[in-house]
Amino acid sequence: MLDAPHDGGYRSRMRAAPAFPEIAVVDLQVCDRCGLCLPLCPPEAIHLELTDLVVDRSTCTGCRKCIAPCPVGALTMVSA
Amino acid sequence: MTHDTDVLVIGAGPAGAVAAWEAKRAAPELDVMLLERDARVGTPVRCAEGVGNAGLREFADPDGARWAARKITRVVFVAPDDTEVKVAERDVGWILDRTQFDAFLAERAVALGAELLVSTEAAGMTCEPDGRWRVRLRGAGGEATCRARVVIGTDGVEAMVGRWAGLETRVPARDMESCAQYVVEGIDFDPDAIYLQFGAGIAPGGYAWLFPKSPGVANVGLGLVALKADARNARQYLDAWIARRYPRGAKRTCTVGGVIAHTTIRQTYTDGVLVAGDAAHMINPLSGGGIVNAMKAGRLAGRVATGAIRDGDTSAQRLSAYHAEWMAQLGDDHLKYYRLKRALEDLDDQFFNSLARTANTIPPEKRTLGRIFAHALVRHPQLIPVAARFFI
Repeated sequence: MLDAPHDGGYRSRMRAAPAFPEIAVVDLQVCDRCGLCLPLCPPEAIHLELTDLVVDRSTCTGCRKCIAPCPVGALTMVSA
Repeated sequence: MTHDTDVLVIGAGPAGAVAAWEAKRAAPELDVMLLERDARVGTPVRCAEGVGNAGLREFADPDGARWAARKITRVVFVAPDDTEVKVAERDVGWILDRTQFDAFLAERAVALGAELLVSTEAAGMTCEPDGRWRVRLRGAGGEATCRARVVIGTDGVEAMVGRWAGLETRVPARDMESCAQYVVEGIDFDPDAIYLQFGAGIAPGGYAWLFPKSPGVANVGLGLVALKADARNARQYLDAWIARRYPRGAKRTCTVGGVIAHTTIRQTYTDGVLVAGDAAHMINPLSGGGIVNAMKAGRLAGRVATGAIRDGDTSAQRLSAYHAEWMAQLGDDHLKYYRLKRALEDLDDQFFNSLARTANTIPPEKRTLGRIFAHALVRHPQLIPVAARFFI
């Protein structure tokens, strides 16, 4: 029998694909580069680089946890 | 091109500048490098700039300093229904000019021999077989690498260093406060007081603040927990609050950011790496204050890192002394404050309105936080379990 790790590493494999997969995108015209969304992202899909904040399309699970906390509303969901 | 250094500090805010300063002070023979992503240390300011008097004085003398914008001698709590409670406390604190303050701290580290690199960001890091960290640097002049015996991550809320080192730096959304702030000019307030207003419709899960910078000019902002908010974001809540409280104010530069109102991350160290300040969630979860916390942690990190390098042992086990010392100094207090924060979340606007009226029955000169608390416990028995959660 497999021991599931405490961090739930197997969970993502078990989860069914969402019916309408979406991912987060950053509007760089609105983004203030404050970095608030980085520690909120469970799969750590968001990276802040010198000039741009980037969401990794292949890592984003579409969980929406970064959307509401953005102080300027720079993050939105789009279909993947 | 590869640089070699003993201590590499990533992020030149208060935690990083003090870490570099303390490292050079404790071990002048070691090489210390301090990285700053922005072109100037201290910009942009993402902070309300308030700091307690006693904590600040451990690191610098604010009297007459160019980086101290305003001395604060009073605190005014404003209930959700706008009832004001003036609290009598002496020597409350200071409003800093963070651009100048951060530059002052960084210059002090440089004066001791730390090397400061601005417009340079860390882009990633890997551990070498000999235990050193190889850090990729990116700046105006292109890419370079730096090998360091100990990396101190003081890179703020983004906490990329902790992430690269495999530490758990993620935050549940309930403990992230979304903040927005303007510098507002042409408004009327007591320039010796800070104002804090609570209320579910004003700043759900947080509070709104006015911190004076000079007569008529103040940092006006708020922090809220997005999970408790309606569809508006922090800046929209702030626009509404300013329109109501200070309709004639002229709003200047807006800054936004996140304050992690949680507790210190479970592990702040690993082989050859320490993280300090906001990057390690070393923020008072009740007040959202982090400057003194960051400086105290930076001082500890600088001291432990240099001691470890001198002993030739930068293993996680050796560096764990930093974590233990931080928890004893402040980290354990933050756990208590966090429990208090969670307990206070259960109280509603009506409670705070009635608490404000109770507090105002105490004569103004005797209205200290301690007395308000004692009065409140007698008149509002629902506070007793809240108090119990703080002390137990």
